Amino acid sequence: MPVLEARGVSKTLGTGRAALRVLDGVDLEVQAGEMVAILGRSGSGKSTLLHLLGALDRPDGGTIMLTGRELTRQSARTLARTRLRHIGFVFQAFHLIEELSGLENVLLPARLPGARRGAQRRAYELVERLGLTPISDRRPHELSGGEQQRFAIARALVNDPELVLADEPTGNLDQANGAAVLALLRGLSDRAIVLVTHEPEAAATADRVLHLTDGRLHADRLSTVKALRESA
Amino acid sequence: MLAASLVVADSLGRGFDRAAGAAGLADVIVRFDPEQASLVRQRIEALPDLAGFSLRQELSGVDLDAGQHSSSQASVEVLWPGRRGYAIVAGRDLQLGRPGEIVLERGLADAWGLRLNSLVSLGPLPALRVVGFAEAPDNVSFPLAVPRVYVSRSTAGLQSDPRVNLAQIWLRDPRYLDQVLVQARATSYGLRGLRYITRSGVRVLLDQAAGIVIDLLVALSLIALATAAVMLGASARAEVQRRLAAIGVRRAVGASRGHLALTQALEALLVAAPAATLGVLAGTLATYGPSTRLLTMLNEPPAGAALILPLAGAWLGAIAIPVLAAAWPAWRAAGRNPVALLRGAELSRQRQRQRQRQRQRQRPRQRPRSERSAHQAGLAGLGARLAASRRARLAATTLTLGCSAGFVLLMLALASALTSLETDPGALGKRYQLTALLPPAAAAHVRSIPGVQAVAPRYEEQAADSFALGETVDVIAYPGDHTVFEDPPLVSGRRLHGPGEAEVGAGLADALGLSPGSTLALQLPSGNELRLTVRGVVSSLQHDGRVAYVPAAALLRGDPAAPETLAIRAAPGADLNRIETALGPSAELAAGATARGVPLVQVLRAILRAVAIVDGLVCVYALIQTCALMVQERRRTIAVLRAFGGGPAAVGRLLTGSVLALLLPAALVGILLERLLLGPALGRLAAGYATLPLQAGATSIAAVVVGLAAAGAVAVAWVTRQATRERVVAGLGTG
Repeated sequence: MPVLEARGVSKTLGTGRAALRVLDGVDLEVQAGEMVAILGRSGSGKSTLLHLLGALDRPDGGTIMLTGRELTRQSARTLARTRLRHIGFVFQAFHLIEELSGLENVLLPARLPGARRGAQRRAYELVERLGLTPISDRRPHELSGGEQQRFAIARALVNDPELVLADEPTGNLDQANGAAVLALLRGLSDRAIVLVTHEPEAAATADRVLHLTDGRLHADRLSTVKALRESA
Repeated sequence: MLAASLVVADSLGRGFDRAAGAAGLADVIVRFDPEQASLVRQRIEALPDLAGFSLRQELSGVDLDAGQHSSSQASVEVLWPGRRGYAIVAGRDLQLGRPGEIVLERGLADAWGLRLNSLVSLGPLPALRVVGFAEAPDNVSFPLAVPRVYVSRSTAGLQSDPRVNLAQIWLRDPRYLDQVLVQARATSYGLRGLRYITRSGVRVLLDQAAGIVIDLLVALSLIALATAAVMLGASARAEVQRRLAAIGVRRAVGASRGHLALTQALEALLVAAPAATLGVLAGTLATYGPSTRLLTMLNEPPAGAALILPLAGAWLGAIAIPVLAAAWPAWRAAGRNPVALLRGAELSRQRQRQRQRQRQRQRPRQRPRSERSAHQAGLAGLGARLAASRRARLAATTLTLGCSAGFVLLMLALASALTSLETDPGALGKRYQLTALLPPAAAAHVRSIPGVQAVAPRYEEQAADSFALGETVDVIAYPGDHTVFEDPPLVSGRRLHGPGEAEVGAGLADALGLSPGSTLALQLPSGNELRLTVRGVVSSLQHDGRVAYVPAAALLRGDPAAPETLAIRAAPGADLNRIETALGPSAELAAGATARGVPLVQVLRAILRAVAIVDGLVCVYALIQTCALMVQERRRTIAVLRAFGGGPAAVGRLLTGSVLALLLPAALVGILLERLLLGPALGRLAAGYATLPLQAGATSIAAVVVGLAAAGAVAVAWVTRQATRERVVAGLGTG
């Protein structure tokens, strides 16, 4: 059974004359241990799709199933619980809380009501595994971009989610740090990972690359690094 | 609060002056034993600086019956031609040649529900028609005093009675009052039982009747004014903080500093003007009625149109404060780097924060804290840290809440103090609980009553200072040690011991410039003078602190007819009712400081309750505003929290931490403010001649803390509901 399954997902943003149908019947399946990259131009609806897959927003049409549960019919409270226990987010802007240290940012999901058992222990283990212990007491403004994103990745994994969603995780990083982050994501085994990016190099690390154009996902036939570079 | 404070302060603080002006209160009122009017007229016409005078016959203990209400203690003023010394506030004045008419005090009419043209019977007279209501500020009205009515000689059937016992004297220049009084005493031969009272004496008399209630109310209002101003300023500043990003955008596109400040001021004006109008109306309506009832009891007119100007000032102030509080921070903010504003700066000085960050970076890297020590107090701890990160706002909001809490504590302390002043004679330093109208010879018999610990004759009468005849003094005397029965705290010097010594109240000491070693010279009603050496100054609420304790032997030498009662001190735990019953009808419980002011106290409590409720609502508003502002600024943080699965409970915990970071110091500030500043200030303002017990007790503190917690809970619930309605992606700024 796929971890994530989306069928006929559609979404319109804006109202009236400004309404824009950014997603128009999107189909997607992601298996456990698989990393799927979604490429698209700016404004193509990549982030919107990620938000729908991550239960941050509701589609106007279609269904989204996560580990066999349909997200589209869940209440707001249930969706929050689903995000807490089954989904981890990595954002382009990191979104670390300035008043908290790196470690405390990682611990944040572990302190939410309903967090999985052992989440706090996992948080400390993740910080150690990612080599962040020496800098765990620093505030975000004292960290480099790469360090911040590593803390963000640790935060996303604290509740041991089945699905990890990364929205342009290398967008604010230099090449070296970006590569390191991608390697980290690549190293997450047994999880379904959906990576949204506009960088072909980033997409090249994925098992499968899909293009989002005209509101629909298209498989990329030339899914080799060289072909992707040439097409970019 | 501004309007409410002004109504109370203006009405009560200036009520007497308004009443005296409207009624044309005499400069001197003289009472004496009944005497021929021709003799009195002759004596008065010999006085210098005389502008006019009128005579009356004052009868007391008269039966007055108005159907459902009656009294056997009414005071009847039988008018002779001349100035009245009262103001007609409804109907018309008496026509002296027309019998069958009566004018009532307005307070009496209100208390008994009497209207114009009602019929009342007075003593043996046939029914009299009420033609007018009067306000005479020389005394308080029923029910604080006995009912008082005015009739003509023809109505009273006293046309042929040439006697009078009261004269009202008006002077051309009241500055020569003392000289006139000296002359009056010198030329008053033949007139017995002379008792003078001047305008200042009347004011003291009114204060005595109303206790210290009026002074406390006025002082409370002044403190409320200051608190209201702080709250308005903090609120407007918070609004500017919320708009900083918008200010940054406008600066980025070229708006000038002045334009931005003016825009902010105009926006604040658009909100402040209707809000101030509603607030002033509400405050006025809430307090005008109770204040008017108070004034009626004091025989003083309501402020009426005199309030328009101060209320207009309050309205302008209520607008000006937030407008200025918005314009000034906007002006300052507009002078900052627009990029900093767009990134979410705060109103506090940017340089300070930059230096702070520089110092943090330069600090040598510390060893990482242990993993366990980094485990801070969860979401609530995060909320507290978010609140603390905006130090200026935290301080302003804490101060606002602290002032509110302190103010409520003050009101609760005031209510408790009033209760004890009303019912506990110990508040006056009295250690006796009963008095009895019995001669000194009965003391031995009274002492034998079970439960009686001590008995002594007590003498009390009003005298005047020989050098300032307008200053009345309550002279109290005991044979032996008076501290057994009255023990007001000693402020300076020592207790009197010898026959030629006295203790004076701090109010009298201040008025006459007395200190231990000074000479106290008193003109007794007998016409003799009593001279004593002041040995001590005491803190006393009685008679505004214008009191002198003297040896009984000295007083009786000067005035053998000094009024006497027996002061009775009960043993601890004794049954006062049994003692009172054993003493019979001559016994009376010792009065508290507010004495006949009990109805005033009840009205005051009503005002205090109303103001406390308003204050509580202000606290809730301040907390909601602070939480909403924090949610607005930390929109992304809250969105991240929700993105990772935090529901309303999690957001609620976060806001609870923020609210606690405000409430805990605010409660502390409020308690300290009341204990160290507001209570003592109010006590000094109200009764600078005595120490007032105005410290909130543990119960009041607990009540205020619970109230703050409740306000915080309401604020958290409200803002959490609003915050969790927004789409998560909108908060992340990506949707």
